[in-house]
Amino acid sequence: MSDATAKEKATIKYDSEFTKKVYEMENGKWVKMCMQCGICPTTCALKEKMDLSPRRIIQLIRAGRKDEVLKANTMWLCTSCYTCACRCPRGVPMMDVMHDLRHLAVENGINHNSQAMAEVYAKDVSKRGRIWEGGLMLNYGLKIGLGNFMKMALDMQDVGKGLMLHRRLPLLPPKGVKNPGKLREVLNRAQEIAKKEGGH
Amino acid sequence: MKYTLYPGCASEGTAISYHHSALEVAKVLGLELKEIEDWNCCGATVTSSVIGQFAADVLAARNLALAEKMGQEDVVATCSSCYAILGNVNKKFSDEKFKVNANDALSKDGLSYDGKLKVRMLLDVMVSEVGLDTIASKVVKPLKGLKVAGYVGCQTVRALREFDNWENPTFLDEIIAALGAEPVPFSHKLKCCTGAMAISSADITVSALYPILKSAHEAGADLIVTPCPLCQMNLDAFQVKVNKGYGTNYNLPVLFFTQLMAVAYGLDSKKAGLDYCIVSPNNALKQFGV
Repeated sequence: MSDATAKEKATIKYDSEFTKKVYEMENGKWVKMCMQCGICPTTCALKEKMDLSPRRIIQLIRAGRKDEVLKANTMWLCTSCYTCACRCPRGVPMMDVMHDLRHLAVENGINHNSQAMAEVYAKDVSKRGRIWEGGLMLNYGLKIGLGNFMKMALDMQDVGKGLMLHRRLPLLPPKGVKNPGKLREVLNRAQEIAKKEGGH
Repeated sequence: MKYTLYPGCASEGTAISYHHSALEVAKVLGLELKEIEDWNCCGATVTSSVIGQFAADVLAARNLALAEKMGQEDVVATCSSCYAILGNVNKKFSDEKFKVNANDALSKDGLSYDGKLKVRMLLDVMVSEVGLDTIASKVVKPLKGLKVAGYVGCQTVRALREFDNWENPTFLDEIIAALGAEPVPFSHKLKCCTGAMAISSADITVSALYPILKSAHEAGADLIVTPCPLCQMNLDAFQVKVNKGYGTNYNLPVLFFTQLMAVAYGLDSKKAGLDYCIVSPNNALKQFGV
């Protein structure tokens, strides 16, 4: 073993606090339930695009390997298709675990395009109560930066053209809920409760 | 037969044809769908990663509280994702602590939810409540000779596992057959289209759509029908990208199953919302007076 490799091996961080933190999240109990059978990666729609399989992610959470878990693209590629959840012998809703991990990754300053999309989406929800699909694309474009936006616009022009020509992307926002302020109060209160309860 | 309808955000944009055709077909079938007044976005699968699981649950639950305020009719959703979200939250109301906390938050908008309603998917209501005999009895233009790939998608039968068979679903094919068309078996009936990833990672979506279109095409389908807005949008709007990326020449129209019902019920192309289709279904449906 070369010195460099040995050093690298010696510096792998095992963070038991991280394991505890995941267990305490809203779907953390499921991480304990996994028996590592491996049916989730064999059924996963996007397994081949993932850095680490869902099974491996669970294994690494238990081992406290925080950095590897949070830097993986796995949770960002989970489409919530429920296929693994249907076939898991322990009934683990893996997509819910993945949503918790996204939340945790963002808390740790790690980001991904999917999260940019989710943030734009959540903002529209709290502003209007409903999603304006036309505006969603535009706001997402602004969020990822002008350069990336231009690249996306160019890349997606055939798709966008089809949607526009067939009046599928409203140019003006459809009406939202009557009182979005009240809805925000509801959501704020819910977040307060969740904080108080330490996750639900 | 009465239900409270949760239309969902796609009904005002990408899936406007689903909403309109569903209402038209419901009229023919005597199915009364009363829209939830002041409904809000269900939050889909993305909101929880921003505002947390509980707040996302409360967001969805507001719709159930509004539905309950309107009466005791069960809620029906047209969109697979809305159905999955609302249905999952509805189940959580059997937990007393969850219910108390959720109602605490909902009280900020003067609302509360008792948890007594059921959340159903339109596809389920059509087959389990309206019934295939009734669906067939309203057909004025049997879709004889039309080969249809019934693309169920992923969340429809898998998210709640409350209707149909989630490994080998038959409801959609049974409706296709009741309309006089021929449902063709194809391998990717239940494979995920990657949903909203189409915007943030279009290349991954295209790679997932290709085998779906390929298997429907190889099964000899004239068109595809689906009960899910994201499945419809991805297969329809991104078909051009699949063709470019894989050197294929697919020209498979993708309709909501309610649009195909509208055609078989002799409703005009406007009521069936066919103009909203990006890949034109006119050629495939010409023989049925479209």
